Amino acid sequence: MTLSDNELIIEANKGNNAAFEELIYRYDKSVLSIALNYVHDSDEAKDIYQEVFIRVHRNLKKFEMRSEFSTWLYRIATNVCLTHKSRSKKHLQLSINEEFETEDDDSKSYELVATNRDPGELASNTELGSLISEAIDSLSSKQKITFTLKHYEGYKIREIAEMLNCKEGTVKKYLFDATRNLRKNLSSVYAAAY
Amino acid sequence: MQHNEYKKMIQLALYSELNANEQKKLEDHLTSCEECRKEMEAQRNFLNIISDSEKKVIDDALLHEARTQLRGALRMEQGKSMFNLKNIFNVFDFVNPPYKLAVVGVTTLIVGFFMGYLLMSPSPEIRYITSSDSGTESVFYQQDVKISNITFIDSDASDGEVEFRFEAVKPMHYKGSVDDPNVQSVLTYAMLNERNPGSRLNSINAMVSENKMDSDPELKNALITVAITDQNPGVKIEALKLLKKLPYDEDIKQAYIYVLSNDTSSALRITAINALFETVQSGQKLNEKDLKLFKEKSKDDDNNYIRHLTKTILQEHD
Repeated sequence: MTLSDNELIIEANKGNNAAFEELIYRYDKSVLSIALNYVHDSDEAKDIYQEVFIRVHRNLKKFEMRSEFSTWLYRIATNVCLTHKSRSKKHLQLSINEEFETEDDDSKSYELVATNRDPGELASNTELGSLISEAIDSLSSKQKITFTLKHYEGYKIREIAEMLNCKEGTVKKYLFDATRNLRKNLSSVYAAAY
Repeated sequence: MQHNEYKKMIQLALYSELNANEQKKLEDHLTSCEECRKEMEAQRNFLNIISDSEKKVIDDALLHEARTQLRGALRMEQGKSMFNLKNIFNVFDFVNPPYKLAVVGVTTLIVGFFMGYLLMSPSPEIRYITSSDSGTESVFYQQDVKISNITFIDSDASDGEVEFRFEAVKPMHYKGSVDDPNVQSVLTYAMLNERNPGSRLNSINAMVSENKMDSDPELKNALITVAITDQNPGVKIEALKLLKKLPYDEDIKQAYIYVLSNDTSSALRITAINALFETVQSGQKLNEKDLKLFKEKSKDDDNNYIRHLTKTILQEHD
């Protein structure tokens, strides 16, 4: 018989490592996917993955089962993503304390994408992929995690709001700003799309 | 509703985030607004192009590698928590409660004298691992700590404060039994993460001593990860050889098959095919998928020996 998440948590808290593994293996692929689509680098994604589950392991006894385990886990995962500093140091060092970013966030969205490139040069998918990665990396941390969770992972806005511990309206704002900034930064590449 | 509001609704519509009412409103607006129709088309194209070119999918090898590294890290975590006070009290559960505190106190005193003797005795080369100091204050005053990779979170000192991260590395020296959980944790971690290939190799050899041949799944998984993903062929080959010493199972077979199918080094493929040959000779059966791979290898592999041995395996299996 399959145990519920809460039953596995009780077992894990008694020191049953197999129960802990079963619990995390239900969700760890999603966590790794969020991390990989957030940092675009498999080594850094593994760092985030490891940090998330070490925090889960350390704090599982404090989890009071008032919410779903998955909500709690993804909240930890998004927090780790938001505080993650890239090994390559190409990410911008932004404060994570910004609760709500305004229109002025455009100033934080740096023009990392060369907008004067000849579209003819961009025929290779690899180059397109790296330009898109650069554009996504140039977003502020909250715009980036929101866009990743929505666009690549397919979470509902309500679920993202739970993960980020904010209102749905705030998530929508991050999403609009992220998309607007991406379109702006990639405008020369995707001119045909406008 | 303002025109700009509809533009925001367009993105939500493309992500199926509108309720029926909002969807109807947007559709009504789109029938009469050329600009919003174009905006919807542009947004749809933009999001499609981003999706097509950028979605990163998790493959099994990456997930396996992440899980193996996590197991190593959790073992280190558990090793640390073994020494917390609560666990020390639990050890004395067999003692009646009125005397428990006294017994714990006396034992702590004895352990304290013993630790003091170890730390003060004249052997300056060897230092024993102590629990890590979570406070950063003392780190700044320790002479043997190397501080590196400083990254500023807040370098603006206008408010009188700055905030940064850094790595503080302190040399440690540890000597202990290969069966010691602390030793095993460090060796597993080194096997998977150490930059120096020689250290990875030494870790593998140390972990798989002769008396550990029936070792745990964590060791097996670590060896499989190294055999599949390590950058250094010499380390990979050593991991493959040591896998042969572990009890054969499906995971180990899949590791050999993976190396045989994907590795560019013929030496590694030869090690894998030799291992598979031995298992077939000892009576292990191959499935249809394995046989198909061997048929391909018997025709297409660049290496004569591999082509020959796969043919032999196919004949023996028949």
